[in-house]
Amino acid sequence: MQIHMSSFSLPTSTPKPKRKPFRPIIASSFSISDQDLQSRGFTQHRSSTDLDLDALNTVFARVGFPRRDLTRIRRALDHSSSLLWLSHSKPGEPVAFARATGDGVFNAVVWDVVVDPSFQGIGLGRAVMERIVADLRGMGIVNIALYAEPRVIGFYRPLGFAADPDGIKGMVFSKKNIINRTS
Amino acid sequence: MLRSSLVASSSSICQVHLPACHSKSPNNSSYFRQMRDEAPTKMIWREDCSFSRKRRIELCPLKAGFWDSIRSGFLKNNNTQVVETPTSLLEDEEPLPQEIVLLERTQSDGVVEQIVFSSAGDVDLYDLQTLCDKVGWPRRPLSKVAASLKNSYLVATLHSITRLPDAEGTERKQLIGMGRATSDHAFNATIWDVLVDPSYQGQGLGKALVEQLIRALLQRDIGNITLFADSKVVDFYKNLGFEADPEGIKGMFWFPRF
Repeated sequence: MQIHMSSFSLPTSTPKPKRKPFRPIIASSFSISDQDLQSRGFTQHRSSTDLDLDALNTVFARVGFPRRDLTRIRRALDHSSSLLWLSHSKPGEPVAFARATGDGVFNAVVWDVVVDPSFQGIGLGRAVMERIVADLRGMGIVNIALYAEPRVIGFYRPLGFAADPDGIKGMVFSKKNIINRTS
Repeated sequence: MLRSSLVASSSSICQVHLPACHSKSPNNSSYFRQMRDEAPTKMIWREDCSFSRKRRIELCPLKAGFWDSIRSGFLKNNNTQVVETPTSLLEDEEPLPQEIVLLERTQSDGVVEQIVFSSAGDVDLYDLQTLCDKVGWPRRPLSKVAASLKNSYLVATLHSITRLPDAEGTERKQLIGMGRATSDHAFNATIWDVLVDPSYQGQGLGKALVEQLIRALLQRDIGNITLFADSKVVDFYKNLGFEADPEGIKGMFWFPRF
């Protein structure tokens, strides 16, 4: 691959999301196989083309996430490096969802992992997470991170995630932390 | 995770290092007190929960950096000129200029040096490799580094621009710092790979770099700014307004190599 030797500049405008190349997920050891999912009536989707954003917002609300502006959700999905959702009887309506952002080579962060409450407890969250991780690993990314609420730390551990490895802390910027500083 | 490198590291990709930009104890000399009093105050708006209207609060987020730089870099010459930068954290202000001069100083030989922050992402891959070598980070394939920059939402740089006092005013531009953020362009951003050239550390430049990066992200209406910090730099980021484990939410990594 040719590398630019001279100064490397980024385009000033936001690049339009391109059609993603097909990346087969190597299903070596998923806890629920693709056939199992299919036989139970679940369809896997790896693009957001057929996704009903309003239905996604509803699932977010059902699990306690905030509902968000649909235009922004659309933009977030278009700029996620990987996403996966499962539908059941109602096409376009997600029963499980996860997406990841990142630079496509070194780092990725997984966001918005949700399973509709009426479909929880049967392994769909695990199914979605295993596939997202496999997809990211297929891109060569090994640094996969996420932010876990206390009650779901136990969910991510058996999936191979460790909290605060070597003392590394997840941190979030808080505008309210900007306090009056005197010189 | 975030690699924030201000001292040499070992080869682990996940290692991050002590920042040198801590605020030091105040200098009480009259020169510095005068500079401090004359520095313009910066304003931000903050919604106060106990009142229905917004209240102005004075804030000088870059002051510590400026004073650090004055203390460490300027003691030997009297031609210091501290260049003002707009530092209010309004989200509805005019678009930030892509380039901001953080400081300017004249050396005794007449050479003028400017430290410039830029969010334009103009990074020469070989300059970046040299910088990473200086802080001791392991080399990564240039093609991958190029891709990681291209796929980043924001790439911020610090350059030192020196201008010689000769007839042509010859300029030399050197990359001395970098930081980048990935994002979904709507809700979340994660900051990675913050580094400052060791010979420019200790002057508050890492702090200024991250502050400007945050401002640029807030300007683009990204509400959730995150990062993963090595234990040694947690305090550095706390001082910049980051909170570790907010509401008990933990950063987790997939099979980290430790």
